[in-house]
Amino acid sequence: MKKWITTLAASVALALGLAGTSAWAQGSGTFRYAEQVKLITMDPQQQSGSGVPFLRPVYETLFEKSPDGKPVPLLATGYKVDGLDVTITLRQGVTFSNGESFNAEVAAANINRGVKLAIIEGLKTVASAEAVDASTLHIKLKEPDPAIIDSLCYTGGMMLAPAAMADPAIDRNPIGTGPYVYDKAQSREGEVRVYTPNPTYWDKDKIGLARYEVWELPDDTARLNALKTGQIDAGNWLANPQSAIIDRTPGLKLIRGTGGLNYHVIISDREGTVVPAFADINVRKAMAHAIDREAFGKAVQFGLAEKSFQPYGKGDWAYDPALEGVYEFNLDKAREYMAKSKFPNGFSFDMPSIPIYQSRLEALAGFFKEIGITMNIVPQEPGTLARVSRTTNFPATNLVWATNTDPKFLALRYIYKDAAYNPFKATPSEELLSLAKQGLESVDIGVRAPIYKKMAAELADEAFLIFVTNTPILIGVSDKTANNPTVVYRFGEDSINLRGLKAND
Amino acid sequence: MSAGPATATAPRRARRRFGLASLITGVATAVLLALAFFAIFADWVVPYDPLKQNLIQALQGPSAAHWLGTDDLGRDVLSRLIYGCRIAVIAAAEGTSIAILLGVPLGLFIGYRGGWWDWVVMRVVEAVVSIPGIMVAIVIIALLGAGLHRAMIALGILFSTSFLRLARGVVLAEREEVYVRSARVVGASDGRILLRHIFPNIAPPLIVQVTLTVGAVLLAEAGLSFIGLGVQPPQASWGTMLNTAAAFMDLNWFLAIPPGIAIIVTVLSVNLLGDVLRDSIGRGIAVTARPQAPAAQPAAAGAVSVAGGAAPCTHGKDEVLRVEGLHVMVSGRDGAEVPVITDLSLGIARGETLGLVGESGSGKTLTGLAILGLTGATVRTASGSIVLNGRDLRRLPPRQLEKVRGNEVAMVFQDPTTSLNPAFTVGSQIAEVLRTKLGLGAKPAWERAVELIDRVGIPRPAERARAYPHELSGGMAQRIAIARALSCNPSLLIADEPTTALDVTVQQEILDLFRDLQDEFGMAILFVTHDLAVAADICDRISVMYAGEMVEMAGVNALFSDPRHPYTRGLLSAMPHAADRNPPLPTIRGNVPRPGSWPAGCRFSNRCDFYRPGACDRLVPLTGSGRLVRCVRAGEIELRAAS
Amino acid sequence: MLRLILQRLLALVPLLFIVSVLTFSFTSLLPSDPVDLIIGDNGTQEQYELVRERLGMNQPVVVRYFQWLGKAVQGDLGTSFFNSVSVMGAVMQRLPVTLSLTAMSALIAILIGVAAGVAAALRPQSWVDRFATLGATFGQAVPNFWFGLILVAIFAVNLRWFPATGFTPITQSPWEWLRSVILPSIALGTASSAAIARQVRSAMVGVLQQDYIRAARAQGLSARRVIFKHALTNAMVPVVAVLSFQITVLLGGALIVEQVFAINGLGTLAIGAVRQQDIPMLQGLVLVMVGLVVVVQLATDVVYGLLNPKARPS
Repeated sequence: MKKWITTLAASVALALGLAGTSAWAQGSGTFRYAEQVKLITMDPQQQSGSGVPFLRPVYETLFEKSPDGKPVPLLATGYKVDGLDVTITLRQGVTFSNGESFNAEVAAANINRGVKLAIIEGLKTVASAEAVDASTLHIKLKEPDPAIIDSLCYTGGMMLAPAAMADPAIDRNPIGTGPYVYDKAQSREGEVRVYTPNPTYWDKDKIGLARYEVWELPDDTARLNALKTGQIDAGNWLANPQSAIIDRTPGLKLIRGTGGLNYHVIISDREGTVVPAFADINVRKAMAHAIDREAFGKAVQFGLAEKSFQPYGKGDWAYDPALEGVYEFNLDKAREYMAKSKFPNGFSFDMPSIPIYQSRLEALAGFFKEIGITMNIVPQEPGTLARVSRTTNFPATNLVWATNTDPKFLALRYIYKDAAYNPFKATPSEELLSLAKQGLESVDIGVRAPIYKKMAAELADEAFLIFVTNTPILIGVSDKTANNPTVVYRFGEDSINLRGLKAND
Repeated sequence: MSAGPATATAPRRARRRFGLASLITGVATAVLLALAFFAIFADWVVPYDPLKQNLIQALQGPSAAHWLGTDDLGRDVLSRLIYGCRIAVIAAAEGTSIAILLGVPLGLFIGYRGGWWDWVVMRVVEAVVSIPGIMVAIVIIALLGAGLHRAMIALGILFSTSFLRLARGVVLAEREEVYVRSARVVGASDGRILLRHIFPNIAPPLIVQVTLTVGAVLLAEAGLSFIGLGVQPPQASWGTMLNTAAAFMDLNWFLAIPPGIAIIVTVLSVNLLGDVLRDSIGRGIAVTARPQAPAAQPAAAGAVSVAGGAAPCTHGKDEVLRVEGLHVMVSGRDGAEVPVITDLSLGIARGETLGLVGESGSGKTLTGLAILGLTGATVRTASGSIVLNGRDLRRLPPRQLEKVRGNEVAMVFQDPTTSLNPAFTVGSQIAEVLRTKLGLGAKPAWERAVELIDRVGIPRPAERARAYPHELSGGMAQRIAIARALSCNPSLLIADEPTTALDVTVQQEILDLFRDLQDEFGMAILFVTHDLAVAADICDRISVMYAGEMVEMAGVNALFSDPRHPYTRGLLSAMPHAADRNPPLPTIRGNVPRPGSWPAGCRFSNRCDFYRPGACDRLVPLTGSGRLVRCVRAGEIELRAAS
Repeated sequence: MLRLILQRLLALVPLLFIVSVLTFSFTSLLPSDPVDLIIGDNGTQEQYELVRERLGMNQPVVVRYFQWLGKAVQGDLGTSFFNSVSVMGAVMQRLPVTLSLTAMSALIAILIGVAAGVAAALRPQSWVDRFATLGATFGQAVPNFWFGLILVAIFAVNLRWFPATGFTPITQSPWEWLRSVILPSIALGTASSAAIARQVRSAMVGVLQQDYIRAARAQGLSARRVIFKHALTNAMVPVVAVLSFQITVLLGGALIVEQVFAINGLGTLAIGAVRQQDIPMLQGLVLVMVGLVVVVQLATDVVYGLLNPKARPS
């Protein structure tokens, strides 16, 4: 019972808001955000995780991350996790923008739809959801999941109106409970999405804008120009020349957000089925030592990246400073390892690539070449890298992972014999397996942190995951946006919290 | 257009052109050889491994170590550029070969077979051609996937359509040739006919098409690589280098320069070489002679007659036109000038018709154009006066002269079908003159035009006014041209062989029309013709021209009954054949000498039966009063003719 | 003239049919499976089957073609594989962008090409002529996208006269529209202006030697009137045929130049469709482009007929 978080204050605020005079201001001005990925779908349960800024104005999640990264209720009012049972209480009096009311029935339908579609990784542990009463939702888990509430802070926790769920064209007709509604008429496909205030919003004080726009500008230079000319107020970037330019352009600021992306090489064929050399620990260690992470971060990621030797970023609760520098760039050492291995004359292997990783892989190929390893870059269609990485087509691959993802996903992705990115079904070491198990036994970070630090050390030792760099989440803004006190960047996400956001002027 | 002075300079011009062409060919060939050299020996000539990176030295400008700087991964741009040569050569060779291997056999086949094979393939080709090329390539790449060889297959398919059409066209043309048909009768197989008879005829246009295709393939490859559908990095192609450069434009714009220049220089060389090749092959194919452009040779011979004094002439009071001492020069391409008309003087009275006769190249037409001041850029009236209605046209500023043309003097040309603008109705062409010269409004101008058309004897004038020149017969078109010339009621009409291009029956009608109109309007006519019969019919006086000067002038009866100049005699004896103007006159050997190669002294001397060394080698003046003749032996010949 | 237009429109039907068959059969041969791309990174086999079902991929190609054709004749080119956006809607939304570019570059190409061609033809072998001829040869060797990059570097990045990227609809601000299309249009139109200049020069040189030009001058018409009315009208006859082809080239070139200037036109749509293997989008794009080309050809036929009375059906 002590886990119940009763948000009396919120209820009071809500009551005040509802009782508030009709002199409620609709919000004024426009805020323009630019997104670097193209919008595929506005159905949160069918999108793979990028392009969330298109969804946030309309859809609200059950929980959200507080600025320090802890989940706090949004459409929920509290939760209790007890083994495989998760009980969540819901905010009352909330309606969707189409007038349908939000209740436990709807929330359960949402969770069950997400589970059935099986696209959202965070819902993979969920067996089913059901309404206990109008405002209480019960989620049944398949296995212990200390990160389930975390998952409900993202797309997994976004609540869709029943009408939207039934709409075959939901990808362009989002209906949620959020402060803004999607204005299809004013939006231009492939160019800009326009959002206007939701007249039925449950927390009207938080509507600060008359209009919110998300521009679809996949071209980095175009997005930079848009920011320079004031066409947009803010936008997200990867570590590339354009974000480096923002960083040093007067009048613009590059915000390094919380959380980030860890770029790493995965040696999938670590039992040497296709490339025997990969079974040799000395080879893997040689590769880890051959990478000049400093130069890589400087040249390929324009000084916006930090070297990385573990899955987590500085400041994450599972981060272990002791692992810093464990595979420092050292060609002599790398060559020594190669000489020690059964493959002193080197070998070659294929590596899948997509355009945005092209220069990274070209750089890595250059490093590996120095120790006699030839890495052939094989271009893949954009959007298919993760998919081919799950096949035995390639003995190794390269991916990014969000550093604030719960560490339990490490095991799900890379360690277990049936892990997503373990296509060769390599048997994990006893050590890793037991650590992965231990990590699920508690929801308490204090208990879990040492376990995952140990896991990171063990991963470093086995060297089948070669971590390269961490880049923070990068948001480029104008000075006006930087000085706007209502601009709050979401924790670990490349978007701005819309609740309470006001225009720059 | 008998004004064409000489093209004796043709070899010289050809030499000049050959010099420029060989220079271009040399440079272009050198560029392409260098390209081939780099493509083959890239591994040995590059200063660095094109894939060797140095992240710390990324995006540097040109330096001693890296002549063209380094790219985003610190790779040597020069080395990558040199490797790019190899890709360019492979791309050009692959794309073009696929296009040929696909297009030519298919084109030959459908051209030979015809029928529904031909129909189906040609519809498909039409469909492909109606899609922008790059879109076709994009769709094919969607099917095959990106990459150098696949992109080249796509481009090969795209460009094969032009080879297909070319091959088919040649087959269709050759198939009708007699020798193919006869070969078939003899019983040769289809394959043999194709190979033996048709293939050799395809070679020249095929070579031309190849040069066009190679340049296009190079540009298309660069474009596809640039948008990421062609060559894939890290392979160094010029297009992918530009792709990288585009991303780093703000940080290092220089990255875009070397590959861009490489593409331009290569394509330029291919195109220039193609131009030269096309020219030479074109010369081989074309059997029709080039039109002779006015050009001339410097007056090296110095055989210029500069007759100082004006020839004696009657200055009638009602003279409309008086030309005095006219000298006209033609300048060659090198700037040197050659005389084409020398010391020409003549006058025409009101209501009089003066015939100007002579062979082609004698300067008759040019005289007419010189009076109008329309000799063209390369021809210059050097001295003399042209007094029309009391004003010297040579002293008038261009604007004033423009006013005189049409209003006071007009001209009717030889071929009515070419002297009327094919793009406008005949009525509008007359009305335009009325509007711009007389300031008439649109409607009155049109009505007057219809009246004029009616006046020149065309039935249903209102309807005919709306016809285009090509819808009228030659005679009718000449009537329209005459109507236009007379629209502003000029005092002088220059008629340049106005009946030559017409049927004999129509000729007479037009001559009658001239006479009628002269009676009505009273204008003076300068009637230029080579046809003495026509001149006899219409002229009051006749002036005979030879090699840029007047050799005889007399009243029509006097001239015909008693020609004084041996040339005039020659013309008269050739009269029955004169209707056919091209063959040389049977009784005068040789041809009119080209300007610049006139004999010193009497210009007719080298063709004259009465040539006397010494006397005829000096300048011969025009002598006589009333009737004039330019011959030192005129008296003797007259006696002989009389006896 | 009306008959000509009708004839042309009728000829369009079989052409569009053949193009549709070609693109449909071509795109049905795509090697990779679009379903893979649609369901994304975390898709399961069940989802795979589900999406396949939804897209009707289980049916034979011929059935799919006729279903598609039935809708296409009603103006419905289907829906993108990746979202509920209609192909017609997406294409129509981008069309004004690409048309702006194509039209502007055609205008530039014609203006420069005709001016240079006429100037060269008026004084053959003069320095103007040599310069124009050299420029034309050079202009045809310069890749449009490279020229675009250089223009951006000079006029957008350094001088800041024009925006480096993006497109402003003419309905939003005609001035900004002009500013946004001028650089891409120059980059795109230069090569075509070179081709047109060559054609105009040779046509004009030929026409200026014609008797009717001399006759018009003899009639006392001003040099300007004779050159620009009498000569140019006739010289444009062969040029118009080249122009029709050049506009097709420009339309294709726009697809690439759009990438340099990050302009959201048909090119961006097409390249995105190829990368995603969005088959309905590709088909729609090809059909719409063929439609455009046919319209351009029709327009040039009409102009050709206006310029050349001999070509008119009587």
